[in-house]
Amino acid sequence: MMNLSRSVALISLFLLPLLSFSFSVDNPTDRRVLVLLDDLSLKSSHSIFFSTLKSRGFDLDFKLADDSKLALQRYGQYLYDGLIVFAPSTERFGGSLDSKSIADFVDSGRDLILSADTSASDLIRGIALECGVDFDEDSSAMVIDHSSFSVSDGDHTLIAADDLVKSDAILGKTKIEAPVLFRGVAHSLNPTNNLVLKVLSASPSAYSANPSSKLSSPPQLTGSAISLVSVMQARNNARVVISGSLQLFSDRLFRSGVQKAGSPNKYEKSGNEQFATELSKWVFHERGHLKAGSLVHHRVGETDEPAIYRIKDDLEFSVEILEWSGKSWEPYVADDVQVQFYMMSPYVLKTLSTDKKGMFHTSFKVPDVYGVFQFKVEYGKLGYTTLSLSKQIPVRPYRHNEYERFIPTAYPYYGACFTTMAGFFVFSFVYLYHK
Amino acid sequence: MLAVKVSTVLGSKTAALNVKLAQALSSGSKGSVINNQELKFDADSATYFLDSFPENFDVGKYTFVFEILLDESAQEKLYITEAQTKIPIAATGAISIENAEIAVLDGDVGSVESQKKLDLTKDGAVSLSANHLQKLRLSYQLNTPLGHVFKPHQAFLKLKHESQVEHIFLVKTSGKKSELVLDFLGLVEKLYYLSGKYEIQLTIGDASMENSLLSNIGHIELDLPERPEKAAQPPVQPTDPYSRYGPKAEISHIFRVPEKLPAKQLSLVFLGLIVLPFIAFLIGLTRLGVNIKSFPSSVGAATSALLFHGGIGAVLNIKALSLLGVFLSFVGHSTLSHLASASNKLKSA
Repeated sequence: MMNLSRSVALISLFLLPLLSFSFSVDNPTDRRVLVLLDDLSLKSSHSIFFSTLKSRGFDLDFKLADDSKLALQRYGQYLYDGLIVFAPSTERFGGSLDSKSIADFVDSGRDLILSADTSASDLIRGIALECGVDFDEDSSAMVIDHSSFSVSDGDHTLIAADDLVKSDAILGKTKIEAPVLFRGVAHSLNPTNNLVLKVLSASPSAYSANPSSKLSSPPQLTGSAISLVSVMQARNNARVVISGSLQLFSDRLFRSGVQKAGSPNKYEKSGNEQFATELSKWVFHERGHLKAGSLVHHRVGETDEPAIYRIKDDLEFSVEILEWSGKSWEPYVADDVQVQFYMMSPYVLKTLSTDKKGMFHTSFKVPDVYGVFQFKVEYGKLGYTTLSLSKQIPVRPYRHNEYERFIPTAYPYYGACFTTMAGFFVFSFVYLYHK
Repeated sequence: MLAVKVSTVLGSKTAALNVKLAQALSSGSKGSVINNQELKFDADSATYFLDSFPENFDVGKYTFVFEILLDESAQEKLYITEAQTKIPIAATGAISIENAEIAVLDGDVGSVESQKKLDLTKDGAVSLSANHLQKLRLSYQLNTPLGHVFKPHQAFLKLKHESQVEHIFLVKTSGKKSELVLDFLGLVEKLYYLSGKYEIQLTIGDASMENSLLSNIGHIELDLPERPEKAAQPPVQPTDPYSRYGPKAEISHIFRVPEKLPAKQLSLVFLGLIVLPFIAFLIGLTRLGVNIKSFPSSVGAATSALLFHGGIGAVLNIKALSLLGVFLSFVGHSTLSHLASASNKLKSA
């Protein structure tokens, strides 16, 4: 599915010269990004975030969310590779955009950053629900945390969160030291959904409620079940970031210092800028994107791929996996890539060893079961694209002349046979000519 | 200390002004705690300050209403944007927590079965047990620094089962103390009939509370009746994202073990045993004094005889069976008939 969408993008490269920049199989980082705002002042209040995106080569197109000329596609081709929706209070998008067209956008393999704020319209909630994220139903509720707030806030709604997901692919290799400031709505993840993941979680004492009115019943969302920022990687490797706070991306919180309540550490600069930058690198496929070459297999000692294997053959298997570094394809280094030799269920599962130059290889003996097998590489790692490769190969039994020729256990029987023959031969002489 | 800075719209310093805290309206009570308090001007920092608050100024949320009046000595034409500026202020303080205790009560009577005192400033290791006929009571007293009863915004008791299913209850404050009574008889269905160990966690917090706390009090073993068939299933819990991905266990194929064959030596021994009778046969023949004297001497007959025996040998080799069979029958017939005539001659002679 991903290949189809990427090849469509490639075709558009030739057919429509206007769309000269688009992501492709060879260059998976997004190029053109549509930014929907509900207020053009966001361009200046979030200028640092947008300028870091521009400096990394993204082509940002700012539009108001209710602009009547909005369109994601033209003549069946997508105009943008990524979409940023910073319009938490928009009830209806203008032009041809609606929650279904955004869902189709993600289905085509394109990426999305969606942010709610202290108010989230039903439209934004609906888009988030498609991705497995449930915002708090109470529209006046915000995340409140009386133990994990920023000391500069009197209301305890400016959360200083440091419960980040442990993933170098999503958040980069450098640890984010300072807490991330957050003020907005809470959301939880659908527990049956395997594709969503909490990137920034709330602390156990957080809860989602209206700060200016007393609680009459226990809140729906409390504790670490509250996610502040989540991501989803779809099966076609489209990436979605959903944040409960638009202020998290603002210049004011990027620049502000932070001190978490109860902690003596005072940080000059909050972790927001590093967090938002690293997350944008991940979501737009500058990091954590893998590509695999074709699977190569052959018998030990040969170089050509045979059309069929015989049982108990020794074979060698290798695959090349590359990682996109943002600018070029680098060899991927990992020790948990595995290959399965599979027919209805895996007969052999082996971990591949790498030569650190992108080639992963192993060798094993073909099982003594006949049938049509598949070499399967199904690789999934937190934050990385999923690789799903397979190659079919039949396995045959021994031919009649591939068995052992003479079996030592049968020597008595051979002996019996030959001595009988020899005895008869001698007898034939003796009987006839004895005198 | 309260410090207020007043500037012009563009941010520069103003002339002499009179800044007054007209009212401090508390969110809870109706009246104002502070009335018409004038703020003193500090020329060094250009701020107006109030260095002490009245004694009945308690913690809580307030709305301060400031009034700015022009000093009579002001000459220039100055305009004030708003007559009264309202600013929400949260006055924080440390709330004292006293008489915290947790108890298991027996049924309707309410008699205490087991009771433990709690220190909510740190995690405890209280261990209680109860069945569905009993009740759990948690009570404590929260007081402001001035001794008034304090009602926090957040007062949750969380019961978390071993299977990660969580339940949250609000602790209500009435009168002098805060109390929560959990009647397990009525809660059995809400708890999804899950018996076992529940961890107890108490969270108390408020915007005006400087010492908001989260305390893991301990755990309680609940013994609930069996789930009836129609009752709701507990909700699905999310899987740990770190364990979702990860290498699977290696599988290596176990090849079918070939049947166990006897040792090679054993086979050779039996080979020897088989050959033994043949050798015995040969020895027996020589003992009997067999000879091949009556081998025909004439060339034609000898050739046929040799071919005959050659043919037998070839047949024993099972090669070209059918042709040999035909050939053999001719040659055999000729040899054997020759032999028969020879023996006939002998008999007749």
